Amino acid sequence: MRRHSRRIFNICYRFTGNRTESEDLSQDVFLRVYRTLGSYRSAHGGFATWMTSVTRNLLIDHYRRTKRDRITDSLDDTMPAVENKQSSARRPDEQALLGELSSQVQSALTRLSPELREAVILRDLQQLEYSEIQIVLSVPEGTVKSRINRGRIELARILQQMGVRPS
Amino acid sequence: MTWTCEQTELYLTDYLDGLLQPELKQALDLHVNSCERCAPLVSSVTHAITSLRALPEVETPPRFVYNILDATLGPRETVTGWAAVRAWVRGLASPRFAYGSVSVAATFLMLVTVSGFNWKKPRVADLAPANIYRNTSRQMHLAYARSTKYVSDLRVVYEIQSRLRQDNELPTNTEGTAPDSNRQKDPGRTDGTAPATPRQQNRANDINSHLQVLAEELPMLSGKLCVVLTEGRTR
Repeated sequence: MRRHSRRIFNICYRFTGNRTESEDLSQDVFLRVYRTLGSYRSAHGGFATWMTSVTRNLLIDHYRRTKRDRITDSLDDTMPAVENKQSSARRPDEQALLGELSSQVQSALTRLSPELREAVILRDLQQLEYSEIQIVLSVPEGTVKSRINRGRIELARILQQMGVRPS
Repeated sequence: MTWTCEQTELYLTDYLDGLLQPELKQALDLHVNSCERCAPLVSSVTHAITSLRALPEVETPPRFVYNILDATLGPRETVTGWAAVRAWVRGLASPRFAYGSVSVAATFLMLVTVSGFNWKKPRVADLAPANIYRNTSRQMHLAYARSTKYVSDLRVVYEIQSRLRQDNELPTNTEGTAPDSNRQKDPGRTDGTAPATPRQQNRANDINSHLQVLAEELPMLSGKLCVVLTEGRTR
């Protein structure tokens, strides 16, 4: 329970970049898992993969629900000054938790499109295999590879725009 | 093989994950080393992946798991008043609690007894740490002294037993070699057996007296010694 809750919370946090939303979403994930446990079939991947699929579906639903709110945010995000203001507006414990680079990477991650973001999170943060990502996203393996590839290139470009360059 | 910048982007993930075929990897390496556009791309994407994988795992909020349990299984029932007392007492009646209590009590009793606490005349002062330490040390020394005495007593008993055994075997070795003519020279002998020599008789008497003293001194071995004594007398 603790292991799964931690993993699910981390996926939600990396996807949304917000602790409160991540906590609510994680609770929703477990609630849905509890209610739909009967639909789980081990033949369709492991339990952890199934839970990740549920998480992904809820995250996409949440993303679509809050799209209108985010349109204004995305307009603000184009201005570096506003980005800095947002960054400094984080709670002090979050600032302490994340180093400067981690904070920038998290910020860059939330600026990726949801399709690319989820692929990169599952591959590079959750270290899932292509076959597992294929099950979670319900897309062919070629599409998985393509999304991961584009997501990584896009993330590198955003980090460069933010002034984060390889040493 | 001619390699384009678009191909670098296309195969970048396979290249970085080590899944690219050797000939394609060689061509990509050759191109990246000479291309001003692709070299920084590979470097920046590698840096992005390294930074992503170095992200720390985020700690969950406090009471996160309990909130999930409340959300899934429902909030836990809180009972107050007599119902709470009854629930607490019911908890005490569980076998696990009973086993735990008994084992703790047995351990406590054992420790207190070992520390020399007198159950017939209990005193609060005996439970003081200094007294417990002193009594425990005394008990340990007493136990050690008893055990060493017991071992030394056993050695004495076994030594006596072995000497008795040797004496019993002695007539057959020494007296058995005596000529039969001596028997006829001994007047008054009617049972037909060879009488013990005075030396033998004295030794047997000494051993019997030793065993009697030991039996009085060591009540715990008296049963064993009685057997030896009766055996000695019958012989």
